Amino acid sequence: MKAFNKLKWGIFLILILFAVMAPLKASGYWLRFLTFIFMWIGLAGSLNLLTGYTGYLDFGHVAFFGIGAYMTGVLMVHLGMPFFPAMFIGAILAAVMAVIVGIPTMRLRGAYFAIAMLAFAEAMKQVVMEFDRFTGGGNGLSLPIYTNYLFFYYIMFSTVILTIGVTYWFEKSKFGKALMAIREAELAAEVSGVNTFRCKLVAFGISAFIAGIIGGIYAYWMTFLYPGDAFNVLITMRMIIMAFLGGAGTLLGPIIGASFLAAVEEVLWAEFKYSYLIIVGFVVVFVVLVLPRGIVGLVKEKARVK
Amino acid sequence: MLTQVLINGILIGGIYASFAVGFSLIFGVLRIVNILHGEFIMLGAFITYWLFKLYGIDPFLSIPVSFVILFIFGFLIQRYIINRIIEAPEIMSLLLTFGLSLIISNLALTVWKGDYRLVNPEYAGANFKILSFTIPYVRLATFSFALAAVGALYLFLQRTDLGRAIKATSQNKIGARIQGVRPSMIYAVTFGLGAAITAISGSLISLSFSVFPSMGGDYLLFSFFIVVLGGLGHIPGALAGGLILGILQSLSTNFLGAGMTYILVFLVLYVVLIVRPAGIFGKGLV
Repeated sequence: MKAFNKLKWGIFLILILFAVMAPLKASGYWLRFLTFIFMWIGLAGSLNLLTGYTGYLDFGHVAFFGIGAYMTGVLMVHLGMPFFPAMFIGAILAAVMAVIVGIPTMRLRGAYFAIAMLAFAEAMKQVVMEFDRFTGGGNGLSLPIYTNYLFFYYIMFSTVILTIGVTYWFEKSKFGKALMAIREAELAAEVSGVNTFRCKLVAFGISAFIAGIIGGIYAYWMTFLYPGDAFNVLITMRMIIMAFLGGAGTLLGPIIGASFLAAVEEVLWAEFKYSYLIIVGFVVVFVVLVLPRGIVGLVKEKARVK
Repeated sequence: MLTQVLINGILIGGIYASFAVGFSLIFGVLRIVNILHGEFIMLGAFITYWLFKLYGIDPFLSIPVSFVILFIFGFLIQRYIINRIIEAPEIMSLLLTFGLSLIISNLALTVWKGDYRLVNPEYAGANFKILSFTIPYVRLATFSFALAAVGALYLFLQRTDLGRAIKATSQNKIGARIQGVRPSMIYAVTFGLGAAITAISGSLISLSFSVFPSMGGDYLLFSFFIVVLGGLGHIPGALAGGLILGILQSLSTNFLGAGMTYILVFLVLYVVLIVRPAGIFGKGLV
């Protein structure tokens, strides 16, 4: 296990070094591609903080990405606010909304939460459509244009570091252990003195906060927002698939799952738009039936046999 | 005006009730939230559409075909796929049915393309008037069919041996097993039955709304809303939930704009989950 840990940290350091140095060599296309991969690692990681550690599947996680994106956009366009405070307020709003939605739904079984979130994301999309005075509604919202792609590369990369840091804290802290206890046996955790409801809410808030930050960066990066894009159900689907493919409830899982799927997507997406999603569906079924602990689980099993 | 809107809402609500019943049945017996549910509706609607389009078969006559095909389909999926993880944590069945729904809806999109299609027999526009209110024949007929399907399912569960075996399995699996009931088989039959009754409402829906491969998503959301209102797993509750959604949607479309429906649906859902999570009758599983 120690050897495995050393190996893990070694890989980490190399990857971080590689990511920091990449802009020296890489061209525009590759930087954009890497920035997207960072975005997906962050998003899959944020879903993982909730779903992987508490066992609550979220079918509407894109709502927080969209809230962060639109709040950032609206503040920058209508109040002329600089990017960072706007993004921060957007992320705070995402976290607050998560807590508000979580209060009734997280007391019930996970299925209520999963689909209530689906309804929430759909409702948020409609709210953005209705408040078209601020959000531009279906016509979209144009943000101030900023084309420094290195800025977006590094800031997206820092969300990856943030996500990994928080996940690491979940893995090691008492709070994280309480969450895992909830995932494994909620009643037992409750009886052991864990305030399960509050722990779940906090995890949900943190997870939404990170998704909100990434949404804000995405808005500034793309400089244009559509309700249909910012609240696209597909974004939620990808987050779920990436987290579970890599291994939900692990540190490396979302990183591996997101990199793998984003890379495969880059190759397949353009040519097989719909058949691609069929393949993804088969992957989900395969993961559930054969590989319930994801790729990371597979590697760990192998490591244990040695 | 208001009465007319209410009438429209109730007529649609009957169909809503009939597709939510399948969702509630599957949850009540198998304890899984079936993300595949919307796809059953889509498949039922497409069966009716193709039989009408290719062979000129009357939409109402295609209902038994939808029923049988989706029963077999649901039975096989449960028997050979979902049964394998039925004892695993809830999140696994959510993910599995989600994966299956991705496969089916995108397969449909590849084969049938994303066009919006209509089933429009020559009697589609006909209506009659009571007092000053307009009632389309098709809506009244689909409403009656939907209620008949719900009623038939209810009687089936109450009165037949197989129905009682299903109820027994949902109440106490070990007890049922001791009485000679095989839960794995009951699960497959229940899932098939849930799929089949949902396909009936899919066929009925094709007469009122357009048919397209990604139509399932909205209906999944509506089903969930209805069964939470009526109580998850409590079948008569779905009837009330369906009517409430029909009226709510009809009111919001007429007075607030179509987009507001989703916002209202979420707000009502939110309040119900706080105030009465077991449904308005308090008989659902929390």
